Amino acid sequence: MRRSLAGLLIGLWAACARAEVPQFELRIHNHLFQPAELTIPANTKVRLVVRNLDPTPEEFESWELNREKVILGGQSAVIFVGPLPAGDYPFFGEFNPRTAQGRLLVR
Amino acid sequence: MNSPLIEAVLVVLREVLEFALLVGILLAAGAQCRARGRWLPAALLAGGVGAWGYMRCMGVISAWFDGVGYELVNAGLQMLVYGLLLGVIGVRVGRAARSGIVFTWLAAFATASAVTREGAEILLYLSAFQGRPQAVPDLLLGAALGVGVGFSAGALLYYLLRGLPQRLAEPATVLLLALVGAGMWSQASALLVQADWLPSQAPLWDTSAALPENSLPGQLLYALLGYEATPGPWQVGLSAGALGLALLTAAAAARLRPHLHGARHHA
Repeated sequence: MRRSLAGLLIGLWAACARAEVPQFELRIHNHLFQPAELTIPANTKVRLVVRNLDPTPEEFESWELNREKVILGGQSAVIFVGPLPAGDYPFFGEFNPRTAQGRLLVR
Repeated sequence: MNSPLIEAVLVVLREVLEFALLVGILLAAGAQCRARGRWLPAALLAGGVGAWGYMRCMGVISAWFDGVGYELVNAGLQMLVYGLLLGVIGVRVGRAARSGIVFTWLAAFATASAVTREGAEILLYLSAFQGRPQAVPDLLLGAALGVGVGFSAGALLYYLLRGLPQRLAEPATVLLLALVGAGMWSQASALLVQADWLPSQAPLWDTSAALPENSLPGQLLYALLGYEATPGPWQVGLSAGALGLALLTAAAAARLRPHLHGARHHA
């Protein structure tokens, strides 16, 4: 009984934790981030889904966010970001840094 | 389309630098305990094959664990290299019987693992130019320059360590191995936070004004020690723990040295 209750609580907690993380989407197209500026809430963990619409791979990279992740051509990647204090956090595509530039606006 | 020359140098250099510095330190450590560097070509070749395989499987691996397989596999490879470096430190300091052959295998395995991880990203970067044959000569020249500069940095570190007086050479090499190992944990914990396997917390400090990560010294320190301008508590804690464990391993091996050393003479 106690074990099943604990299981139920853990299940509920896991479901809540998953449901509570808001999701935001970025696309990479022609080596550009769309949108180039994405606003996310301050002090909140978000699930950033980056869809690479180009046929070539890209590496999502940000010094300010401490994030780096390879995204193959035509694939999506999940990157958890935050909770962050309000501010502007630039990111770029390491494989095409001249064009693939963007910013997270944390408000 | 613009020439990718400069970008290729930078992308390839950033990836190569990490394992080139590691190789420089390992070769110096090996020379000190009379293990020859003959393991290096085989280790680089094995790492190259591993990198090719990892690149081919990247799509499948990325989808593992709900889309964070990339982070987990890379963090796993970092921890594997750390474990091997602990062994290298133990063998190097302990100077046990037959330490040369054990050292060789540990160093080769560590190098191959590091090349697998960094090499896969270089191959992916190069693969992006398949549809642009006119860019390929500049791309290959840039990549060659990046590899050349990276390995020169590794060679410089090797000769610096070899040039030290004997009394200083061993502590300096062991300390560098321990710091590189701590850097592995710095990067691995950042990846685990990115994957949401470790909780994300506010950075403990911010040195981005004094030493930006994208500056030249920042990049060098990142490659060597996993430098991060805004590290979180997990990153700092795990790196410090890894550094402590590596130094403890060295201390334990030094205490055991008389027994191990004796064993060589009886063997």
